[in-house]
Amino acid sequence: MSERGDLRIVKFDNLVAIFNASLLWEYRSLLLRGLAYNFYVFAVAGALAISLGLSIAVLRLQPGWIARSIGSVYVEVFRNVPEYVLLIWVHFVLPLLITALLRSQVNFSPFVSAVLALGLAYGGYFTEAFRGGIQAVPRPHVEAARAIGMSGAMTLRRIILPQAIRHMLPEGMNLLVSLFKATTLVSLIEVPDLLYQVTIVVQQEMRPLPLYSGAAFIYFLLIFFISAAVDRLTQRWRVAWR
Amino acid sequence: MERTPPDSIPTAAPAVGSNEQAREREVVVKAVNLHKSFGDLEVLKGINLEVHFSDVVSVLGSSGSGKSTLLRCINYLERPTAGEIYISGVPMGFRLDSQGQRHSASQRTINHMRQNIGFVFQQFNVWPHMTVLENIMEAPVHVKGMTRAGARELALRMLERVNLLDKQDAYPARLSGGQTQRVAIARALAMEPKVMLFDEPTSALDPELIGEVLATMERLAEEGTTMIIVTHEIEFAHEASDRIIFLHDGRIEEEGPPEQVIDNPRSERCQQFFSRLKHRR
Repeated sequence: MSERGDLRIVKFDNLVAIFNASLLWEYRSLLLRGLAYNFYVFAVAGALAISLGLSIAVLRLQPGWIARSIGSVYVEVFRNVPEYVLLIWVHFVLPLLITALLRSQVNFSPFVSAVLALGLAYGGYFTEAFRGGIQAVPRPHVEAARAIGMSGAMTLRRIILPQAIRHMLPEGMNLLVSLFKATTLVSLIEVPDLLYQVTIVVQQEMRPLPLYSGAAFIYFLLIFFISAAVDRLTQRWRVAWR
Repeated sequence: MERTPPDSIPTAAPAVGSNEQAREREVVVKAVNLHKSFGDLEVLKGINLEVHFSDVVSVLGSSGSGKSTLLRCINYLERPTAGEIYISGVPMGFRLDSQGQRHSASQRTINHMRQNIGFVFQQFNVWPHMTVLENIMEAPVHVKGMTRAGARELALRMLERVNLLDKQDAYPARLSGGQTQRVAIARALAMEPKVMLFDEPTSALDPELIGEVLATMERLAEEGTTMIIVTHEIEFAHEASDRIIFLHDGRIEEEGPPEQVIDNPRSERCQQFFSRLKHRR
């Protein structure tokens, strides 16, 4: 009964308690440092995901069945394991497997596990995005490049990718936004990101309401404005070829 | 006219004389007993073909007769199932060792050989993410290794040949279908190929745009460009070609000057084909 009473106190206390800017301001350096970690994980995992996605997509479009199957298995595995589970698995199980294999103690720092897990997971999504983008390039554009004497690699770099990236831009941007949101998961394996720092502060201050609301608000603002900026940018790219 | 298979297969380029006559005799494209199958379907059933320097050869025939496949085999976009292709006497897609054994050529060699063969497709020819000028400069710069300044000058010359200088900075989305095909022609010409292959270059165009493309091709023919053209434009083929090849069911049914093949075809299939077209006109 007393718990319900507490809840009612929160409800009726006053609405200002939900958002308390001065409390956030007080811990600004800690929170910013946490946010920097979000961006750090995002950047490295994103780079890993995009490179993996491109490589596996190219692998999946090869004529040989071996290359194709490797690509399919990768995509299916990493798209169908929830990121949270993957994160835990990479952080706690994968080092044990590698230790057993190499017969020497291997540990992943939380940051390495975070980047690896998110990079692998989003690599699967990016594979599909790249594959769709590449397949949307009309075959004769590719043949025209080959017919004029370009190698396969040059055709990919100069003819296919510039067009494929344009095709996959909306989906790719959505994936990057999702990846940024997913970086908040890494606090679970103690990467000191924004959410992790907030949790620490909550334990000291005993004021979860304004602190968690503040964190949500900061994430919302960031993602909202970054998405809007990216939309505008890609709009400009879209009209550039006309 | 009956085609007889050549008795010997040359392995080296014929000597090219300094005078015009020797050049005229140079065989730029040669196909020997060319076969191509897709699975169980045999599309080419033994094609023998010789195209000399500055010849204009039109390949006619109903759809499914193997016209496009023949063209695509010449630059190895399709790998022939059997038979040989020679470009100026150099084997395309294979090489013979000192014992006369046949080996597949490396992809690198094939890419290199393709620089000698201009190809214009039916549509989606021009890369949409580059301007007209960039389209034409792309291969000279990145495949041949020309300087950008040199390639630019070359590209402008080619644009002048297809009469599109004013569109040099436009993106392909801004061009009509006819203009796009002329850019494609200029782009192929910029590689200074030994032969130009046209795979139904006007089939995807609106009727009112066909004329400008055909006029450009006719101009190239007059300038002495060696050309092999797959087309359905019978009148154009009649006007511009030195020789007509009529394909039927993967074989050359009839071959000769336009006055013979189009106006007075000997084979029954040829007669049927051209009379049907005349009725339509």
